[in-house]
Amino acid sequence: MQNRPTGLANPWLHLALSVAGVTVYELLLKLGARETAHISDRWAWTGISGLASIYTWIAIVFVIFSLVTWLYVLRYIPLSLAFPISQAVHVLIPLCSWIFLGEVIISLRWCGIALVTLGLAVVAKPVARLEERL
Amino acid sequence: MTLISFVIVVIALLGEVGGQIVLKHAMELSNANGFRSRKFLFLFSAGILLMTVKFFLNLGLLQLYDLSFIYPFQGLCVIMIALAAAVLLREKLNLQLAVGSALISAGIVLVSLS
Repeated sequence: MQNRPTGLANPWLHLALSVAGVTVYELLLKLGARETAHISDRWAWTGISGLASIYTWIAIVFVIFSLVTWLYVLRYIPLSLAFPISQAVHVLIPLCSWIFLGEVIISLRWCGIALVTLGLAVVAKPVARLEERL
Repeated sequence: MTLISFVIVVIALLGEVGGQIVLKHAMELSNANGFRSRKFLFLFSAGILLMTVKFFLNLGLLQLYDLSFIYPFQGLCVIMIALAAAVLLREKLNLQLAVGSALISAGIVLVSLS
């Protein structure tokens, strides 16, 4: 993590943008998939029919945006540090799919999501301490 | 969840893990050799290809299941990337990482059962 840029070029800012981009594109992909689920039962597993929805194409723009910001992050931050932090999407996406898509999340699934989040926090802690020392 | 859906989830996970490791390696190469070296272009293309496979498989799964059900499966990526980083990038694994991985796995089982 030598010569880490600051300001708008700060890789931590790009990590936050990447997380936001992933959250947005996953929600858009679900909207696109929902809109095109009826098109072809036989080839539905490939996901290709999802391209018939405008939501999927907007999602692809966000995929590219989050990929570019993520590649920038990889240039400066170790994968073992950046990846666990990027898993904040596991909290953001269920919350957003509940709020914006009206998906029902039963208590057992909430417990599972909470456990995943706790595990991610435990995994991220040692690398966060490593970052403090650097 | 059917067997074929489970297989697609596993292949999508492998695409994600392989793509992340290869892209990390490519970006590290770009720091030293720039963006025009043949090895960088090869690794970068391979990483993008793997991520593309994962993207379309994920899209197919979203047509069959709720987003809040499918997405937590990607929590497995943390464990798989930690192992792959240890083996391929020579990063250290410790007890905290193992405990965290177990918590993630338990959470995923709960999500799958619900």
